Amino acid sequence: MSVDLELVQRVQAGDKKAFDVLIMKYQQRIIHVITGFVHDPVEALDVAQEAFIKAYRAIPNFRGDSAFYTWLYRIAINTSKNHLTSRARRPPAMDVDAMDATNFYDAPELKDFDTPESSLLNHELEGVINKAIDELPEDTATAIKLREFEGMSYEEIAQVMDCPIGTVRSRIFRAREAIDHKIKELTGEGE
Amino acid sequence: MMTVNYNEQLSALVDGELQGEQLERVLALLKTDVQAQQQLQRYQHTSDVLHGFTTKLHPVDLSERLALALQDEPTHTMRSQSKANVLAFPSQLWKQLSGLAIAASVGALAVVGVMTQPENQLVSTPIQVAAYEVVNDAKPQLASSNRWTVGEPEVEERLNTYLVDHNEYAGASGVFSYARVVSYDAGQ
Repeated sequence: MSVDLELVQRVQAGDKKAFDVLIMKYQQRIIHVITGFVHDPVEALDVAQEAFIKAYRAIPNFRGDSAFYTWLYRIAINTSKNHLTSRARRPPAMDVDAMDATNFYDAPELKDFDTPESSLLNHELEGVINKAIDELPEDTATAIKLREFEGMSYEEIAQVMDCPIGTVRSRIFRAREAIDHKIKELTGEGE
Repeated sequence: MMTVNYNEQLSALVDGELQGEQLERVLALLKTDVQAQQQLQRYQHTSDVLHGFTTKLHPVDLSERLALALQDEPTHTMRSQSKANVLAFPSQLWKQLSGLAIAASVGALAVVGVMTQPENQLVSTPIQVAAYEVVNDAKPQLASSNRWTVGEPEVEERLNTYLVDHNEYAGASGVFSYARVVSYDAGQ
């Protein structure tokens, strides 16, 4: 059983805290998707919140026929469209099929609008992360790249790298720790 | 207390690669340990940045405002699921009833089919053929088999009248007619 389904079943059984983990896991993705429809950042957050509340209310009906994110994604899209309709604004003509949900972030039309200051910081963030990955030992860098850029499971990475799954898990963890350390330095939290 | 081992498990949770007891333990830890929650958030942020879901140094966190908003929402119970189970039972019942209905329909069609068969077809059933074999001369016997032949003409007339009346009352029922003809021949 997938972790998402396990969490959903816990929420269905009355464990509200399990929904917090789902929020933590998917909030950035959902905000990003909604920003493609609702360009105002404050409004987008309200819509994202509404989408998660709707998902919480509807979760007893979730039977696992699709992946949890696909289901959540549909709710987010519908909530965005309803929001625009309620404000007499037309939803964008371009629509994205739920099957493409995982690649949604690639659509250039949906990139959110940053201020010059935030763009600078974000550009810096990107640079810091790339530098952190470059500085990793080769095996660790390969593991995190296969996971994050290729979307491979631990088992697949273990096959590719010809090592135990536990080693893959450990390498990815070390990579994240190193990246996190660099981000902390950037924000001043690491001092 | 957070350990490296727990952090590794939190990292695996981000990838959806945690199962069994470890998942249980980490989820239990996340309920109470703020440090674990923050660490999970950091790992998730790293992953989100690498995926391009966010480019923000300080990502927006909906957790708190959602926790407030969901405070008034009722906690889900298994009742909603058991409701689904209750609803699932009649669907099985409906399946069984549908099967019965189909069986009944097939039965009814078979009966109607027999009823609508012309009598001359019934005459040519194997039972009738068996009767022909006994008497050798089939056609005269068949013609005479529609009449009751006894020694006394009065009795014969009454019996044949009875047979005709019975046939009329039996009316359109080919089944009764069929049964009568068979029993008649067998009794002969």
